[in-house]
Amino acid sequence: MAVLNITYGGLSADYPLDLDYALSDMDVRRIAVEVVRAGGVRGITAPTLGENAFDNFVVDRVGGNRIYLRPKVPFG
Amino acid sequence: MMRVIFCGVGALGSQAAMSCRNLGVELVFVDFDRVESKNILGQAFVKQSIGKNKADALKLQLANFYGSKAEAFGVRLTAANVDTLLANADLIVDAFDNAASRAILSTFARAKNKALVHAAISADGTFGLVRWDERFVPDAEDHAGQATCEGGEHLPMIAMVSSTLARAVQDYVKDGQKNDSMISLSGVLRQ
Repeated sequence: MAVLNITYGGLSADYPLDLDYALSDMDVRRIAVEVVRAGGVRGITAPTLGENAFDNFVVDRVGGNRIYLRPKVPFG
Repeated sequence: MMRVIFCGVGALGSQAAMSCRNLGVELVFVDFDRVESKNILGQAFVKQSIGKNKADALKLQLANFYGSKAEAFGVRLTAANVDTLLANADLIVDAFDNAASRAILSTFARAKNKALVHAAISADGTFGLVRWDERFVPDAEDHAGQATCEGGEHLPMIAMVSSTLARAVQDYVKDGQKNDSMISLSGVLRQ
């Protein structure tokens, strides 16, 4: 099981329910849209979030128990 | 004395290098680019540096403003010259602005067993990463020519990410720690 952390609009927070660490990246993005829309991630409020809002986001898996959904960081 | 080579001294690299000036290390800058007027909005360069090579300009600013010494290589780092430029590095700091150049550094560092830390920021200036090469995968732009966070409106976030990078360098120089961090407007999360 794993904790999902979502960064959106410059804010970052954990989704409080455990997820399966082996979820596909696509499933992580789909779940993130649902939980953010529903207000399930403390501090991140976006009830009209689009279906494709996280399509260009990166799914990082860290330490076997944390999944981070974050914007791409191409620049230096 | 430890030799710390900053590859790319744009937004993150120039600001982080300024914060590393008191570490008691040899600072080296590699960047082929020149300072443009727009760069002084988000980078460590001053008006008098416009038109100069970025690596040279940063070296001059450190010398003139703080009396700190540095070396500068005003060239584009490529697979053909990476061995020459980075052979004596004790720590490589990646603040390049493209995945291809970051990949050259990773390939070199892994082949030569060099310490390499990456810093990167999102195009909209809301999120950044400082991550050691052992756990780093470069992100490509969403599309070629994507607008970067060069505007002055992103300077506070650039400062947060570059300060976190400078702290990562400091921790490594001090006792070899390799700390990763994620930076958002919520704060800095050390992983």
